[in-house]
Amino acid sequence: MDEEPERAKRWEGGYERTWEVLKEDESGSLKATVEEILFQSKRKRVIESHEQVRLGMMRHLYLVIDCSRSMEDQDLKPNRLTSSLKLMEAFVDEYFDQNPISQVGIITTKNKRAEKLTDLTGNPKKHTAALKKAVDTVCAGEPSLYNSLSLAIQSLKHMPGHTSREILIVLSSLTTCDPGNIYELIKTLKSLKVRVSVIGLSAEVRVCTVLTRETGGFYHVILDESHFKELLMMHVKPPPASSSSECSLIRMGFPQHVLAALTDQDAKPSFSMSHLEGGSGGPGLSLGGYFCPQCHAKYTELPVECKVCGLTLVSAPHLARSFHHLFPLQAFVESPMQELQGDRFCQACEGELKDKRIFTCPSCHGVFCTECDLFIHDSLHCCPCCIHSHIGP
Amino acid sequence: MVMGNSHLAMSRTNKLAVIASHCQDSHFLYPSKSWKGADSGADDASSSGDGKYELLSVANNLIAEEMRNVMSKTEVRGNSTDTLLAGSLAKALCYIHRVSKELEVGQEIKSRILVIKAAEDCALQYMNFMNVIFAAQKQNILIDACVLDSDSGLLQQACDITGGLYLKIPQKIALAQYLLWVFLPDSEQRSQLVLPPPAHVDYRAACFCHRNLIEIGYVCSVCLSIFCNFSPICTTCETVFKIQLPHMVKPKKKKLKQLA
Repeated sequence: MDEEPERAKRWEGGYERTWEVLKEDESGSLKATVEEILFQSKRKRVIESHEQVRLGMMRHLYLVIDCSRSMEDQDLKPNRLTSSLKLMEAFVDEYFDQNPISQVGIITTKNKRAEKLTDLTGNPKKHTAALKKAVDTVCAGEPSLYNSLSLAIQSLKHMPGHTSREILIVLSSLTTCDPGNIYELIKTLKSLKVRVSVIGLSAEVRVCTVLTRETGGFYHVILDESHFKELLMMHVKPPPASSSSECSLIRMGFPQHVLAALTDQDAKPSFSMSHLEGGSGGPGLSLGGYFCPQCHAKYTELPVECKVCGLTLVSAPHLARSFHHLFPLQAFVESPMQELQGDRFCQACEGELKDKRIFTCPSCHGVFCTECDLFIHDSLHCCPCCIHSHIGP
Repeated sequence: MVMGNSHLAMSRTNKLAVIASHCQDSHFLYPSKSWKGADSGADDASSSGDGKYELLSVANNLIAEEMRNVMSKTEVRGNSTDTLLAGSLAKALCYIHRVSKELEVGQEIKSRILVIKAAEDCALQYMNFMNVIFAAQKQNILIDACVLDSDSGLLQQACDITGGLYLKIPQKIALAQYLLWVFLPDSEQRSQLVLPPPAHVDYRAACFCHRNLIEIGYVCSVCLSIFCNFSPICTTCETVFKIQLPHMVKPKKKKLKQLA
């Protein structure tokens, strides 16, 4: 294992005068400076993410949640466990929104053992239900990194090569109790091309630093709850694919949605295949649904993997959701308002340009205000004026 | 315009915006940028004296005038019959975003978009259109569609994803009636009314090579383009695929190009 030179720790560097960053305006309020700082960080995120790299679109992610005694600490309200589980639910929802064809599994670790809370599946409701139930678990004992990682590896190693395999660990304790040599396990992880990232809740632990550095993941320690949320959301975006992951054509089915009204003569109620494993309540019989094109098994929701024939079933909008990662929108050019001649109106929302800054799209030279710029880059992912000039007769 | 007036009349706090969209541009008919001037004019010649609610009469006149401006200014170039729907929807979303930001703390505004469409779909706009639909879904904005001529698959998908209503009007003379009956009520009131049943949406994907709708296809794991037949090279991102050979010979991998 090569030893990289350690970065200088923060206390070893020069003395930072952080109080000089904040400046008051004439009424004594700090609101303007705070907004400025938030705005700069948002802009940085937008600008950083624009490189043409191949991304791993189909992801298999295991979430490992530490349920040891240190999770009962109350520095995150009401206690670390409840707060982490709540943030996990939001993370799972956002994750499936941005990566609809991926799968997630959850593992918990306590008492020096690890157990699977949910298997790898693409259905977000199962995960949120399991996370809600897990709030009542008793936190006891010490976590075991080795056991949780080997449990995750057992299922991840059977996944096809074109998917990206990831593990995200939320670790709050400073210790881990392992039955074997964890450095050997790290070598195994590297050979299986699994990327492990850790979010620490207490302090930096050396074994995690080595783990993430060797496998190519990120290691961060949270400052407070909003920072925790930000770090979690960082993992929602697809990571750059490792150069050795295979690219292949995946066979998928696009089933039609059959809506049958009660007055239809031919409509026969049938069971949905997903209810076979003790479904989430509700009657099993339903009139309409999605039929697998290969074996005609019925499912009520997509995306799903057909249990009979093994074909992945998706619908076209699911694939379309991931398109904006592949064709990202360019960052707009910022310029002060004095340079603008002519009407002072934002071309997207028709509002007056009140801020000191305007943004110009580099390809169509449309002018936008700050709010629209943030909205366009966060949610819309396409420039309203470029769409118009795209099609000319 | 009847629809707009009745919406404004339903509640004092309702607001309205109208956008015209044609093949080269989309244009805000109401409220327009020069709105500020009309506000302060006391001797405004356009306000009618027949007892109508002031806002409604001003709105009507403005819409009519802007419509005349738009029709006279644009020269018809070429014979494209498709409208730039995605662009207009994007502008509408930005407008809604701005209006909701300008509200005071504690106030909420629920927004929806009604699209009245007579032209055909433009297939080139698919990706932008889907981006706009997902953004609307995230903001909980319903998109309703009222289609006059030909069915539009894109709008059907939009209404299904965002939870709005899609209706193809059988008789054009009864346009006002349909608009008032189906699209005027709010989303909460809609659950208590008997409305036209949801249309069957075709969610099958079109393959990139022939543009046929397929039920089973092959998806490239890098660029997510869909093909109907297995081919060794993806045409969009030019990645070479590993073919499963029966014997253990590794095919030579060509140098992988980056996404163009």
